[in-house]
Amino acid sequence: MLVSNFLIEVTYLKDRVVISPTSRQEGHAELVMEVDDEGIVTKGMYFSITPVRGLEKMVLSKAPETAPVLCQRICGVCPIPHTLASAEAIDQALGIDIPKNAKLLRRATLAAHNINSAAIHHFLIATDFVPADLFATAVDSVSEVRKTVQYVVDMIAGEGIHPSDVRVGGMARNITPFAKERLIERMTALRPKLEAHIELIKNCVVEKGLPDDLGVVNQPLLAVDPLYGVNDFDMDAFSEVLPEAWYDDPEVGKRGCSVIPLINGENVETGPRARMEKYQGFKGKGVNAQHVARADEMLKNYDACLAALDELDTSGSARADYDPRGTGELGFGIIEGPRGTNAHMAQVKDGKIQFYSAIVPTTWNIPTMGPATEGFHHEFGPHVIRAYDPCLSCATHVMVVDDEDKSILKNEMVRI
Amino acid sequence: MVLGTYKEAISARSTDSKILDVSQDGGIVSALLCYALDEGIIEGAVVAGTPDEDWRPIPTVVTSSDEVIAAAGTKYSMSPTLAALKEATRQYGLEKLGVVATPCQVQGLRKAQAYPFSRFVADKIKLIVGIYCMENFPMASLDTFATAKLGFDSLTDATKMDIGKGKFWLTKDGEDTGLAIKETHGYEQAGCNICMDYVAEWADVSTGSVGSPDGWSTVLTRTDDGETVFKAAVDAGLIETKPMDEVKPGLGLLEKLAKGKKDKNGKEREKRAQMGLPLPVEY
Repeated sequence: MLVSNFLIEVTYLKDRVVISPTSRQEGHAELVMEVDDEGIVTKGMYFSITPVRGLEKMVLSKAPETAPVLCQRICGVCPIPHTLASAEAIDQALGIDIPKNAKLLRRATLAAHNINSAAIHHFLIATDFVPADLFATAVDSVSEVRKTVQYVVDMIAGEGIHPSDVRVGGMARNITPFAKERLIERMTALRPKLEAHIELIKNCVVEKGLPDDLGVVNQPLLAVDPLYGVNDFDMDAFSEVLPEAWYDDPEVGKRGCSVIPLINGENVETGPRARMEKYQGFKGKGVNAQHVARADEMLKNYDACLAALDELDTSGSARADYDPRGTGELGFGIIEGPRGTNAHMAQVKDGKIQFYSAIVPTTWNIPTMGPATEGFHHEFGPHVIRAYDPCLSCATHVMVVDDEDKSILKNEMVRI
Repeated sequence: MVLGTYKEAISARSTDSKILDVSQDGGIVSALLCYALDEGIIEGAVVAGTPDEDWRPIPTVVTSSDEVIAAAGTKYSMSPTLAALKEATRQYGLEKLGVVATPCQVQGLRKAQAYPFSRFVADKIKLIVGIYCMENFPMASLDTFATAKLGFDSLTDATKMDIGKGKFWLTKDGEDTGLAIKETHGYEQAGCNICMDYVAEWADVSTGSVGSPDGWSTVLTRTDDGETVFKAAVDAGLIETKPMDEVKPGLGLLEKLAKGKKDKNGKEREKRAQMGLPLPVEY
């Protein structure tokens, strides 16, 4: 559910504001803010209340080709980064060097998807930033942008959501010269609309006039590539702690549903702003900067998509032959998704998946988002959270059923 | 109506010798597709080709008249044509698509169009050319007819395959050898025995040899789109026509065979229903 239309519970306990679940994001999370007498946040804690992803366990002992098919279902908002990360992790775990054309097709797919996802986020934050007289314009603009970039994903990857044609070893097939020409034609026609869209969103953010230092954090940046990703991950720098050990409040620690991933022992910031600062010379931190960076990155992705399409040789193969037995080594698929770095890891031996793990973008940001609310009035809290475009649905909704009579013992996670 | 809903029944033949040289009968399927492609009514079509010339039909996406003509001629084994639709509407980038389909495949296509089932596939289908079909044979059955029943060394020796005048025909070195249709019974796909549709009742245009003289086809125009394309191809001089009541054996034979299929397979359906077996819904 993209827009939470159920009752959002805002509880004012003594010195504490709780928003549960936080709204206009994918999935369910809770924001706990301790406040002083003026309502200024002195401590912010943000944690996922969406439990049990399960998909990493479901793929164990299955054929390697199963992973991209199942693991793309981690999320319907960014299924493309999950499919790509999964396919790339398996490619590496099988020792496959995919053809150049497959790389170009994957790049074009991700770039188009990242534009789409940023546009969806603009729809989600429209009520925060877009004035009433521009609302219809903004919504139309989001639709126009999405229509073209989703068309690109449809054509290359088979489906705009949960792509069928990203395969282990490359892509199901190359596109025809006719399709390439048509895609370039549609994307070329999109440029003025996209530029106007970016301008519109950035202007709305400026006009809204949120404090410039709202949401500023100084955490290390996590980004592995300006636009696409790599097959390498520094496991020595990486560690995970359980929420009980991370959050000071034992109740929050108990209810938090995601582990806390750290780089060199620190929580990080990932996402468009992190990428833009690290690779594109972007300046500025905090909520406003995050929105501007996300909008500006759309054009970077646009150029990347067209460049990949231009370079594509439609007569060449887009899929490698491979040995499905596996190398036994850990393979990495690290993809720069709309919300940040999406890391999938897989190990394949004797033709079966032995190990699978995914650390998805919002999981990295979760420990950073709570503290980012600190120092401002709690009413700014939701703005800070939404600037990260959090996506927590990477979960399987489970219920507890009595073994004997099949009666449902617990289902609160299905209801939310 | 045993022939389903149709606007007009007419006997027709392509005027293009390139098509008639390779077509099964009157070359209507090829002529319609070539016309629709040249006029931009469709950007491509999914047809049953035999790229290896071994009689095994392979769903093939064609985007030019030359490719249409290269794929001309009836194949008597099943082509999983619908499986290529997605590729045609994706990596081929086609947004206006023609399909040549057997009656059962046309039913599937119409269901796909009626239900929101095949995202951005069914909505791109602009022309469905249905072909008359009594039954269809697995490749192993065709091999058996050629080698065990007609004494060929191999099915690939045959240069033409046809069903007509009560026989299954194979041509080798210019000579036709026939096998009585009753000899083929039991070799067809099991599903064909419960199919009630001989004349692709849900197509835009249906065509096949039955009812018209040798080298001609009987055409049933069914939908507005189908009628428009057919008439335009006639007006453009690509197809010549004769009224059905001026040709032999005439529409009566087509009706007789269509009714025969419904009667025979209707009984088989009743038999299967009595045995408690599931049956597809028939429209």
